[in-house]
Amino acid sequence: MTDHHHHENCLALFDKLSEYLDREADEETCRKIEEHLKICRPCAVCLATLKRTMAICKEQQEKPVPVDFSRKIRSMLGTLRP
Amino acid sequence: MKANRKPKQIHDDDTDLIRSIVAGQTDLFYEIVSRYEQKLYNFGLRLCKDESDSEDLVQETFLNVFKYLKGFRYETKFKNWLYRIATSVCIKKRRKSKFAPERELSLEEFIPGEGEAVPTEIPLWASMPLAQVLNEELAGMIRGAMKELPDKYRVVFVLRDIEGFSTGETAQILDITTANVKVRLHRARLFMRQQLKTYFEHD
Repeated sequence: MTDHHHHENCLALFDKLSEYLDREADEETCRKIEEHLKICRPCAVCLATLKRTMAICKEQQEKPVPVDFSRKIRSMLGTLRP
Repeated sequence: MKANRKPKQIHDDDTDLIRSIVAGQTDLFYEIVSRYEQKLYNFGLRLCKDESDSEDLVQETFLNVFKYLKGFRYETKFKNWLYRIATSVCIKKRRKSKFAPERELSLEEFIPGEGEAVPTEIPLWASMPLAQVLNEELAGMIRGAMKELPDKYRVVFVLRDIEGFSTGETAQILDITTANVKVRLHRARLFMRQQLKTYFEHD
């Protein structure tokens, strides 16, 4: 399986996985990736874990701005003249 | 004779507010602060060393926006212009105090080595419902992993995958080509994936 995964085709498509997930890959590349995913389990796993990585990172919560700092910014801007 | 076409002007939710401020209603600048302080503060937390640096980033960005707002040409979204300023403030700050080593990420480092096992089953963390995977500990791990990303990859990753800018917008904000954005983003994502794999496999 490892030998198979070092196949030239895998490596070429590996380079394009983000473009594919972002729907920025051209039609020909999409077709090749989809065909390849049907027969290559390691690449399918790679795509699934990459996709999940993006989803996890996207879900990160924002921290609120410290109240004192927010007040400081506003009072600083109050002293400025255009 | 060459046509001297004016670039297309963009109108979005911020445009009227910006025009009013430029026209003299400077008190409305507080509205910009309200709209963007949390976004910028969190952008800073992801790119800067700590909370204090992030506060500096927010402050310097708003000061610059206030100073240069009259020069805003409405040719991009205001938000994109704001992030362009914030990013350049951040890059200048980071040059002064580095904390992550600047290095290139190569594709090869994310490809399993000879003899290394290649997974053929989708791991649980990638197949179970997302809500069951997310928790505070994981969030902390993600924050730490992002800080390990070399600067030029992290800024692309944050703009694209956290802030949600498109490839074209990110290229414009950073003044690099879209091809460059794509290469850096892919490597940054592979880096983050590697960190997640390690985290879950050693859990």
